[in-house]
Amino acid sequence: MSLHEATTPAFRANARAALDNANLQAALRGSRGNFITKRAKGREDLPEFDALRDRARDIKDHVLAHLDLHLEAYEAQVIASGGHVHWAETAEEARAIVLDLCRKAGAKAVNKGKTMISEECGINDFLSANGIAPVETDLGEYIIQLRGEVPSHIIAPAVHVTVPEIEAAFRKAHAHLDPDRDLSDLAALQAEARGVLRAKYFQAEVGITGANMLIAETGHSVIVTNEGNGDLTQSLPRMHIVMASLEKIVPTLEDAATILRILGRSATGQEMSVYTTFSRGPRRPGDPDGPEEYHVVLLDNGRSNMLATPFQDMLRCIRCGACMNHCPVYQAVGGHAYGWVYPGPMGAVLTPSLIGVEQGGQLPNASSFCGRCEEVCPVRIPLPGMMRSWREREFEKRLTPAAMRRGLGLWAFAARRPRLYRIAARLGAGLLSRLGGKSGRIASLPFARGWTGERDLPAPQGGTFMDRWKAARR
Amino acid sequence: MSARDRILGRIRAAAAPGDRQAAVAAWMAAPGGGPRPHQAMSHGPQRLTQFMQKLDAAAATVGRVSALAELPKALAHELRKRRLPARIRFGSDAIFAGLDWGTIGTSRGPGRIEEPATLSRAEFGLAETGTLVLASGPDNPVTLTFLGETHFVLLREADLCGGFEDFWTAWRERGLDPRTLNMVTGPSRSADVGQVLQLGAHGPVALHVFLLS
Repeated sequence: MSLHEATTPAFRANARAALDNANLQAALRGSRGNFITKRAKGREDLPEFDALRDRARDIKDHVLAHLDLHLEAYEAQVIASGGHVHWAETAEEARAIVLDLCRKAGAKAVNKGKTMISEECGINDFLSANGIAPVETDLGEYIIQLRGEVPSHIIAPAVHVTVPEIEAAFRKAHAHLDPDRDLSDLAALQAEARGVLRAKYFQAEVGITGANMLIAETGHSVIVTNEGNGDLTQSLPRMHIVMASLEKIVPTLEDAATILRILGRSATGQEMSVYTTFSRGPRRPGDPDGPEEYHVVLLDNGRSNMLATPFQDMLRCIRCGACMNHCPVYQAVGGHAYGWVYPGPMGAVLTPSLIGVEQGGQLPNASSFCGRCEEVCPVRIPLPGMMRSWREREFEKRLTPAAMRRGLGLWAFAARRPRLYRIAARLGAGLLSRLGGKSGRIASLPFARGWTGERDLPAPQGGTFMDRWKAARR
Repeated sequence: MSARDRILGRIRAAAAPGDRQAAVAAWMAAPGGGPRPHQAMSHGPQRLTQFMQKLDAAAATVGRVSALAELPKALAHELRKRRLPARIRFGSDAIFAGLDWGTIGTSRGPGRIEEPATLSRAEFGLAETGTLVLASGPDNPVTLTFLGETHFVLLREADLCGGFEDFWTAWRERGLDPRTLNMVTGPSRSADVGQVLQLGAHGPVALHVFLLS
């Protein structure tokens, strides 16, 4: 099976397996709370944070309303700086463009900075199948590439991997190093990866990065990293390929600054990530370093179809990961259970848009609708509302399981008949109350074992809502 | 019809009516307009203090140099303190050209695979976040910023901006068009191993700034 093949329809089984996976649960326990505390501090230290979020939302809304015009302006700037722009309607087209460029560059090895768009296109498998070795250089991406996995988080791709698992992967992959070396501390592991990858930076003919932003005014692509791997990836090989989706456009340098002010704080709590790099075109005449060719692959892959639909706001996303860091479902099952490139609340909305509700329709159900994702989203995307829209579509398309459909149908039938509803509610509450007995708790209930298997169900106390409402009004 | 035409066609079909060209022109003519954080508005001596505090928060170190001729001595001191060899590599920036480097061995050119210490000049600094702005090119090759184990950066105090707003204005006025504009805030780091932040991922393990008054 190809790594990027979606397992989204198996979300329920994936989630169950994730809950039973002791290593995964240990890794999730280790990271849980970390991101939340850091973001809270980042927000607290900047009084203008919420005003900047409003501005960022307005910038992205303006871009989406004028996307064609900004894309044309951006393209003209890239060409003026000596670069090339390639438009790809689908992941398949993007793969073909990248392979063609790599072949023209005579590439045997391709280095990669962290790019979710390349994950969306399944670039690694495709290049490997065509005899070109992709090398992930972001430390987290490198770890999961060694383990034959895909990212489980959009900014912390190896968040699901424990330290002993990393050591095991390094000992297996770095067989040329002394087998008795000490890898007992975290610094030794990081230093080993640094050493191994440093050599690889000088071997690749092509470097592929993503882009956090594309600037219409100047034709810059912008990458934001902490490690410096993205910069070595794009500066040392003779060709730099940027893979970015259409909605990454921002109009001006000042607009980019607004996004930068909320991006790092929302992601890791940093005021600024360590490296924010604006790139424009190939190396200039006389430059001693930098790529000789600069190419941008602009990917649509379903995004233009989201415009003017209830899901347009999703295209404001700046990929900070705050929604998944604050999501109780993501924090319980991790990113792989979601079964495709984008996990957590943003993935639950984006995945059905990009690969279809038939494939991704399960994901919007993976929410308790607690609303924290919307609360922390730096560009104020109404994620729970959109998940609700997807649930409605799933129901309309008859993709919801039959038992759930019948249950919802029955409830809808009763809910539209107030008298019937009240009688049923009174009967149900009375029955449950009797089952609860003196303790007021129900230890086991048919059809609700999913709940009572882990905990007691509290029994209703003292009449239905309508009865109490009437009594209080008297 | 090309992929480009089909993509742009779909976007146009979804667009709301109205004079969209004018809306874009108006937006581009008045860049900015977002809220300006208080921390981006420092002035005078307070700007310098804030910049140094922010560098410290980003795990960078900083020292002041009263005259350009003092730079080699200050660098020699830092190299000794860090137990680094008395060698430095930098580009062809004129600011470094006429200096007497004394006992420090110098070499010129882009970064190499093993490079204990490199030196660059930053075009600007941002007191808002303790950020250095470097422009790639022969004067300050971009690979020196990423391949040096310890990266030393010279910044003239006159090039220190309050925040993004005055920086972008100053940047446009200087009229540079490098292949990359590199914003650097502290030495490289990663938390990918065990979710614990450690310095020295792929880029420098340490970053030291010489502030030239």
